[in-house]
Amino acid sequence: MNAISIDTDRCDGCKACVKACFVNVLRWDEAGRRPVVAHAEDCVHCNLCEINCRRECITVTPDFSHLRWSAL
Amino acid sequence: MAELDSLGEVISADVLVVGGGIAGLAAAITVKEKDPGLEVLVVEKATSGWAGKADRGGGILAFLTPADKPEDFVRFHVHHIGCFLEDQELLSEYAHTCNGVLDHLDAWGVKVAREKNGRWKYVKLPGLDVPWGLAGVDLDMCRRLRRHAARLGVRFLDKVALVDLLRHGDRVAGAIGFGVEDGACRLVRARATILASGSQNYRVMPMWSCGRGDGIAAAYRAGAQMRNAEFGSFVNMVHAASREVVFGAEDHMYNAKGERVSEKYRPGLQPDICAMAAVGWYREHLEGNGPVRVKSEENLLQIGSEILFSTDLVWERPAAIAFWSRLWEKAGAAESGSVASMPEVVPGFIGEQSPVRVDHDMATSLPGLYAVGDVSYSGSAWTGAVPSPPGRIRGTGLMNAVWSARKGALSAAGYAAEAGELPRVDRAHAAALKEGIFAPARREGAGVTALEVVREVQGAMTPVRYSNWKSEARMREALGMVLEAKGKLHALKAADPHDLARCNEARSMALCAEMFYRASLERKESRGWFVREDFPERDDANWLKWIVIREKDGEMAVSTEDIPLEGYPIKP
Ligand SMILES: Cc1cc2nc3c(=O)[nH]c(=O)nc-3n(C[C@H](O)[C@H](O)[C@H](O)COP(=O)(O)OP(=O)(O)OC[C@H]3O[C@@H](n4cnc5c(N)ncnc54)[C@H](O)[C@@H]3O)c2cc1C
Ligand code: SF4
Ligand code: SF4
Repeated sequence: MNAISIDTDRCDGCKACVKACFVNVLRWDEAGRRPVVAHAEDCVHCNLCEINCRRECITVTPDFSHLRWSAL
Repeated sequence: MAELDSLGEVISADVLVVGGGIAGLAAAITVKEKDPGLEVLVVEKATSGWAGKADRGGGILAFLTPADKPEDFVRFHVHHIGCFLEDQELLSEYAHTCNGVLDHLDAWGVKVAREKNGRWKYVKLPGLDVPWGLAGVDLDMCRRLRRHAARLGVRFLDKVALVDLLRHGDRVAGAIGFGVEDGACRLVRARATILASGSQNYRVMPMWSCGRGDGIAAAYRAGAQMRNAEFGSFVNMVHAASREVVFGAEDHMYNAKGERVSEKYRPGLQPDICAMAAVGWYREHLEGNGPVRVKSEENLLQIGSEILFSTDLVWERPAAIAFWSRLWEKAGAAESGSVASMPEVVPGFIGEQSPVRVDHDMATSLPGLYAVGDVSYSGSAWTGAVPSPPGRIRGTGLMNAVWSARKGALSAAGYAAEAGELPRVDRAHAAALKEGIFAPARREGAGVTALEVVREVQGAMTPVRYSNWKSEARMREALGMVLEAKGKLHALKAADPHDLARCNEARSMALCAEMFYRASLERKESRGWFVREDFPERDDANWLKWIVIREKDGEMAVSTEDIPLEGYPIKP
């Protein structure tokens, strides 16, 4: 499973990362005013959350070993 | 219609667009341009402007350069790509009008690269004499389109998945679904509905992950016709370690004995990857000659694609460079244990099933329902016997998305303007759909997870011996696996609204896989992308036909239709 870490201290709550995710891995926590990683199992390391965080507080670490479908 | 409210929030629009990727956005903009008085609502499962595949792809647009003639494009296409299964009238219209897509994108604020003299900047594929060229667009196109659409007054509803179509008799009257975060039921009533929800890609390859076939399944369940479902088995050759696409790998494959095998399986002029690349990979393994590797130094396309994608040497595209360099940097770390000069490749199954049948106005077989972009690409039939996108011409996915969206939106706008009252929606009908959609959320006790079903469907689709090197016996085996997965759908159990979306996607995947194998079993020949071991030849005497699928009395009814070649300019 890919690992997504968010430095919530650096985060300014702009929400860009939550919008950027095309498979709804990230979710907005209204109470804490911060993004949360809700469904890391669905992350496909497009990196758009990481690239579009202007505060550079997201790191996506892909786990390529989970991509092991059988082609034979 | 007060009673509908008891099922969930009811929202109304003149034109409903399902899916806020590039096709949905282009359709919404076009409706507003044509008739600013129409209320347009885009409903997107993620966040429109960021969602969809367009900004996670190559950003390459295949268009006809000043040196390319539409007639040459059509002739080349019919002979070398779609193999006479095209609707030649629509193909010809595409060839004559697709370049307009670049002007529209430009007018809507999207950055397509230009030369200093103002002309579109383009390249030709190295070593290939084909009647098209490639232009570059930056990978922030959807964000720009959303901004433009909002300025025109298009409304957006994000984080809502629309799962089924509401009907009034045969006529489509909107759609029903739920919030993927709040789980609340939403009903959208509309005069015209445009499906722009993408293709079926079975959640195998990462960047294609949002293509889960919801719109295909919704249209099928509502009774719409499907066409060309048997071509949905697209594969790219990918790096064995990272599973990232190795562009051009198919032309430089070597087996473990050091023999070059590409030409053995891909003789003659090959404008792009074909199914035989994966079949060749499979047969080399079967004969004990695996693994298959690619000689990087020979692969001009790979070197070229790095130049095209992740540098500004050809096109100035900051968003694309950020995307590709970050992706390849991380993939490179995973690939570091492999031999860089000769990396091992495997087939990366993508699918790209796009069978919703549409006519020349992008109207489906159901009144009030239009389908544009990837959801109806094969179903429109202009691309013939290939999975589309990319239909063996990389760079037609985005072009078709915008081209078909404009056509469909103009038709839908006209229909909505003349449709009179909002069509009535019967409460019992909507309640029955809601019941089906929410069933996994209400299930108590033990159940099956969506991912279990998805894995089983993937197991029937990804092996080359099932979906690309086809035979009656192997396809029956794969279909059996799909039906077994289908048999578990009634026991799906959702942990939360996000998981409820996955459950409904699992339904779509099982349906699309069944459709793929039922259509494939019917076609007893090989043609274009479609390869059968037991019927290796193209059979023009019997198979200049489209295979059409629709639901009849709860069953998948498969029929064939002669291609009207007598009226087409190019004959076999
Ligand atoms: C890695 C990669 C590289 C590519 N490279 C190129 C290229 O260089 N050139 C090219 O022309 N094409 C390329 N393509 C193909 C191109 O991206 C697609 O053809 C195009 O984006 C299709 O647009 P679409 O809007 O029809 O579908 P999508 O982009 O799939 O958008 C469909 C949208 O509908 C939403 N949706 C789905 N179901 C529902 C539902 N139930 N309710 C609400 N919303 C829903 C999805 O979340 C998604 O946002 C590439 C694709 C990939 C993945
Ligand atoms: S890398 Fe992509 S898929 Fe993963 S959480 Fe970020 S935006 Fe979502
Ligand atoms: S993009 Fe960065 S700064 Fe903005 S909410 Fe996300 S983590 Fe915080």
